Amino acid sequence: MLEVEGLKKTYKTTKAVDGVQLYLNKGESVGLLGPNGAGKSTTISMMSTLITPTSGDVRYNKKSVLKHPDIIRPVLGVVPQEIALYEELTAYENMRFFGKIYGLSGRKLENKVDEVLELVGLSDRKKERIKRYSGGMKRRINIAVALMHEPEVLIMDEPTVGIDPQSRSYILDMVRKLNREKGMTVLYTSHYMEEVERLCDRVYIMDHGHIIASGTKDELKSILSGEETVFVEVQQMSLKLVEQLVAHEAIQKVTEVEKGYKVIATKGEDLLADIFKLASTIDVKITGIHVQTPTLEDVFLHLTGRKLRD
Amino acid sequence: MWTVFHLQWLRLKREPLLALTFLVLTVVFVFFLAGSQGVQTITIQTYSDELSEAEIDQWLERLNQSETFEFEHNDRSEVEDLIRMSEISFALELGEDHYQYLVGQESHFLGTANQHIEQVYRSQLRKEEVKQRFPDLVIEERDFLKMDIQALTTNSSDNNDIVTHVITGMTLYFAMYTILLSMINLVTEKRSGTWNRLVFSPLKKTSIYLGQLTHYFCLGMIQIGLSFYLFYHILDYNFGSQYFTIAMVLMAFVFAVVALGMLVMGLVQSPQQLQAVIPIVTTGMAMIGGAFWPLEIVSNDILLFLARLVPIQYGIEALKGAILYEQNVVELLQPISILLLMGVLFMGIGVNLIERTK
Ligand SMILES: Nc1ncnc2c1ncn2[C@@H]1O[C@H](COP(=O)(O)OP(=O)(O)O)[C@@H](O)[C@H]1O
Ligand SMILES: [Mg+2]
Repeated sequence: MLEVEGLKKTYKTTKAVDGVQLYLNKGESVGLLGPNGAGKSTTISMMSTLITPTSGDVRYNKKSVLKHPDIIRPVLGVVPQEIALYEELTAYENMRFFGKIYGLSGRKLENKVDEVLELVGLSDRKKERIKRYSGGMKRRINIAVALMHEPEVLIMDEPTVGIDPQSRSYILDMVRKLNREKGMTVLYTSHYMEEVERLCDRVYIMDHGHIIASGTKDELKSILSGEETVFVEVQQMSLKLVEQLVAHEAIQKVTEVEKGYKVIATKGEDLLADIFKLASTIDVKITGIHVQTPTLEDVFLHLTGRKLRD
Repeated sequence: MWTVFHLQWLRLKREPLLALTFLVLTVVFVFFLAGSQGVQTITIQTYSDELSEAEIDQWLERLNQSETFEFEHNDRSEVEDLIRMSEISFALELGEDHYQYLVGQESHFLGTANQHIEQVYRSQLRKEEVKQRFPDLVIEERDFLKMDIQALTTNSSDNNDIVTHVITGMTLYFAMYTILLSMINLVTEKRSGTWNRLVFSPLKKTSIYLGQLTHYFCLGMIQIGLSFYLFYHILDYNFGSQYFTIAMVLMAFVFAVVALGMLVMGLVQSPQQLQAVIPIVTTGMAMIGGAFWPLEIVSNDILLFLARLVPIQYGIEALKGAILYEQNVVELLQPISILLLMGVLFMGIGVNLIERTK
């Protein structure tokens, strides 16, 4: 339904987006995962007709959005990365205004405001000014405003940055509900892989303006099928152990985590035994060890050699 | 467009402090300045070689009906001494059917004083003419003529050049301040992302701009309107009869200022910097454009040239024309069209700058 083809955006010296290719099918929930500065917001701005690409095209139902922005604007709901609200006005007033902008009025507008407020769980606070809201509440209204006109496609740019776990969980559930129950097509942008993993059917992984991997969650994880992730919990952190582990031929990467190390290695029979052996030779006591199925975070790490968040 | 327009009012209603402050400031300043000018009376020394004491007294009585001027009788030689010592800058010589001035140095009171004296003389002479032509009707005629004289004198004393200058200059200056400071909202909207929300909505770009700019335009007009309303009712200031012309001049001026605002917002795009730049721009333009003192006292050619480049100068000039000299739209076509032209120019450059940085 929505296709992005060879999209590029170059600012003076930086290539913010460098040839992005992606598509959304009706009713899908798609994740766009990438670290800060990957070019996610720039891609979204171009998809929502906010900025013009240096080259490439965005098509909605096979029609170029660049040439006809009017075909996509009414059906698109965009949740910007920042809190884009009139802070001196109440939630109710903000929602009414943006509803009107999309052509709602009268009884229909009022009903919609109530309905969306219910959905974001802020019905009882609607007469309060945005200024007085907590970060999580602001985020929820930031989303609510984009839902006023029942968009076909909802594009969300890191909608959960910097908020408490409860609000975050609430928002994730809400988005899932919109997608599953209302059939809304969702493009969810984030640098939190847990969120994308929980919400999305398909995922695009983006870095330095490029899509570096894409597919269903399972497809992506199969990139790592030859690898396994082992958590080694130790009594005492030891640099020597790290050296020994890295030296092991099957082990590709060792990163420090809480109370131990995360080891990524090529799948093999006796890796665990080897780790125990190594530890005992240098007198490091292993208090626990477990093998983990790979996450998207691991996929990213594998592809770029970096973590999503630094 | 109207949705955007209404929203701006709603926002203003929530945070009206800025606009109210400037309205109050305008009124306070004008009261203070115009008030102090109004109380002050200007004494004009008067002498005559031609007239008898009684005749001079008659003339003085007529002349002294003004509250702004006080005419004192003196000897010619003494008046000449005063002028020679620069104690007074000019004096008035009375004649039977004419008058003339003895001028030592230029004074900007002379023009205003002359307006008043000329009116008194003209009405008196007219009265006498009528008396001569219809000697029988004298008593009946007199009452009618007296009313005529009174209307003329109040008019001339009200339309004091200095007071008018203060009122127009200050009002326009503060209106400019309010408009430009309010327009910071535009930049903040771009920052906060609400502007983007409007851009990717089905609204047309022009509707967004029109909605916003119409709001600032109305805000400026309302502030000026309210200020003038207060001056009219509380200061008893007489705006003459050219209300339509005054409205046209104000609209042209406010349009130019809103456009200037767009230019400033295009050049400086951070709200913090704007907080600093706007007072400098506004006050600087007001100084150069003669909002604080009449341009007549400026003799520097560069300053006078710069004055030609700022909207407020044309605003004041045109308003004074309409209020003091009862000029109409056609007579004031030049300053009005210059204001409109400036507006179009600023707006064009401003919008381009703002759009380019997207
Ligand atoms: N208006 C702009 N001017 C110059 N550089 C920009 C602009 N917007 C974004 N960039 C650059 O483009 C890159 C991608 O930014 P962005 O799309 O915001 O990344 P993300 O949303 O994934 O964090 C960054 O390096 C950023 O500095
Ligand atoms: Mg971003």
